[in-house]
Amino acid sequence: MSAFLNTLARDLFPLVWSGMIVGCLYALGALGLVMIFKCSKVVNFSHGNVAGFTAFLVYGLSSGVLMSLSWGAATLLAMLCAVAIAFLIYSIISPLVFESDLTSTIATLGFGLITQGATLLIFGPDIVSLDLPIPRFAVSVLGLFVTGYDLTVLAVTVITIGALFFVIDFTKLGIAFRAISENPFAAEVCGLNLRSVHYFAWITAAILGVIGALLIVPTTFLSVTTVSTFMLQAFAAAVIGGFASLPGSLVGGVLIGVLMNLFAFYVSPEYSSTFLLGIILVALNIFPNGILEKVGGSRV
Amino acid sequence: MSDTFGQRPANASETSMLKQLTSGSLPTLALIIALAFLPAMLGGSWTFTMGLCFANSIGVLAVSLLVRYGGEVSIGHTFFTALGAYSVGVLDAKYGLSLFASLPLALLLGVAFGVIFAWPSRNLSGIYLAVTTLALALAVPEIINNLGGITGGYEGLYVSTPIVSFLEMSMQRYYFALLMLVVATYLVARLRKSRQGMLLLLAKTHSAAADAFGTRRVWARISIMGISGGIGALCGATLAFSGSTVSPGGFTFSQAIFLLVGSVVGFYGLSLPRVLLGGAFVTLVPHLLSASGAWIPVFYGIALLSMILIGHHLPRIRKAMKLRKEAG
Repeated sequence: MSAFLNTLARDLFPLVWSGMIVGCLYALGALGLVMIFKCSKVVNFSHGNVAGFTAFLVYGLSSGVLMSLSWGAATLLAMLCAVAIAFLIYSIISPLVFESDLTSTIATLGFGLITQGATLLIFGPDIVSLDLPIPRFAVSVLGLFVTGYDLTVLAVTVITIGALFFVIDFTKLGIAFRAISENPFAAEVCGLNLRSVHYFAWITAAILGVIGALLIVPTTFLSVTTVSTFMLQAFAAAVIGGFASLPGSLVGGVLIGVLMNLFAFYVSPEYSSTFLLGIILVALNIFPNGILEKVGGSRV
Repeated sequence: MSDTFGQRPANASETSMLKQLTSGSLPTLALIIALAFLPAMLGGSWTFTMGLCFANSIGVLAVSLLVRYGGEVSIGHTFFTALGAYSVGVLDAKYGLSLFASLPLALLLGVAFGVIFAWPSRNLSGIYLAVTTLALALAVPEIINNLGGITGGYEGLYVSTPIVSFLEMSMQRYYFALLMLVVATYLVARLRKSRQGMLLLLAKTHSAAADAFGTRRVWARISIMGISGGIGALCGATLAFSGSTVSPGGFTFSQAIFLLVGSVVGFYGLSLPRVLLGGAFVTLVPHLLSASGAWIPVFYGIALLSMILIGHHLPRIRKAMKLRKEAG
């Protein structure tokens, strides 16, 4: 019995911990997708590719490929660029958004392809490494191995999400966002401008994407597909959260991170995408409206 | 009665001229005849490419069918094409069986997995189904690579058993693909006229009315996924035979998106010229741009966007011009 507990403590807790850290990043990605979906009913398939492009931009601007700025300046510039791209994408598809959400969703696939191609054209297919300017240390707490990277991710996630929820809960813009998500028609009748709130959601999502991309890249390396692959987990997290719930996507992100980690360790790391498909199908059957929603009947 | 050979009313209005040209029966027949004589004019490599083009057109048909009859968008149809392709590839490479055995198996598997996938996702629609098919597409290359013992892993399988003995193999690859494309589009055209097809369309547009006629929405969804999965598997089987190799590179996530792009480029059309346009787009763009790989996604993206934007803005512009003409 004690041997079992020992292995549990040795394997399980670190796995859950690292899963939670990655899960926070999935949640950041998922929050962006959900923000966009909540108000404009569009699933932004270009999210991962745009975030990946900006991560490359940070690399290019700070390493001397394009310019040799400091990390902070490069990140600021890349964020501005991400905001500009989000603005551009929404401006082009906004006539479609009010007509058919499925058509505009397909249109975002087109933008994803273009961004992916642009990344390839500018930075080439090579793999590069992009690290965060954070202190490197590691402490052992109750058998857990906690690194500076882990703490950075946690801190950034908490601050970002705290700021986001503050904006959504307490500012006028946030109230407009919630009103439009709840009932666009009534909100428009009350004099709210749907487009400007949509712009707010798209731009916020782009910034969240950049933060998520910069935090995920140090764990692996940066290639054209790294960030878009990472965003697929974010999609799963958003689906588990119900795709229209911000707290739900947080829970979904952490859940996906922990479950994927456990599956990779105990079952097989080679079938992780298949496992992800299984999670999505099961979750959608048990919680069709997201993990935090009560299942209710509909009235005809 | 039949759609392909039926006569159009003579007093069709001017605006439907273009529509008639692309979906009419006579031009389609002429197109088929022209395609049948094409290998005599083309070189070997172009004949091969055209065969692949027909095969991809069947895949485009499967995606368009789901959009038109189910109202759903799939970005995971490579799952079904992979099923069909590997049925052919495995039976050929491991057991030496020809298409007579593997084609029915491919169709059976395609329909069965279409139904199996449709059942857990029966209540999903719109973006939820799209994201689920995305997960499906991502799982495909992984499963293929990990089942290396059967599927040949990264290296893939070589398909070389002929169907008939009297024809040259390259000609068989071409004509088999053409035949399958014609048969598939013909059957889909018949479906449109059939009672079942009408019921499926009714279930899509007026689900309450369809319910009253005894067609449950869930049943409609499962059957359309089954049909679309079967056509997807037919595409895969044709790709395997006409392309002579089956490897995981043909069933990536990008390929799944490209099938959707092909479907959009053909404006979700189900007639032979339209799906051929989509299939040609899917096949020929990488072929022509193979020297500059990074431009391929850019080109696909721009094509996808411009088709969508044209589809959105053109009717409005036309209407505005008509109004101006009437006013002036």
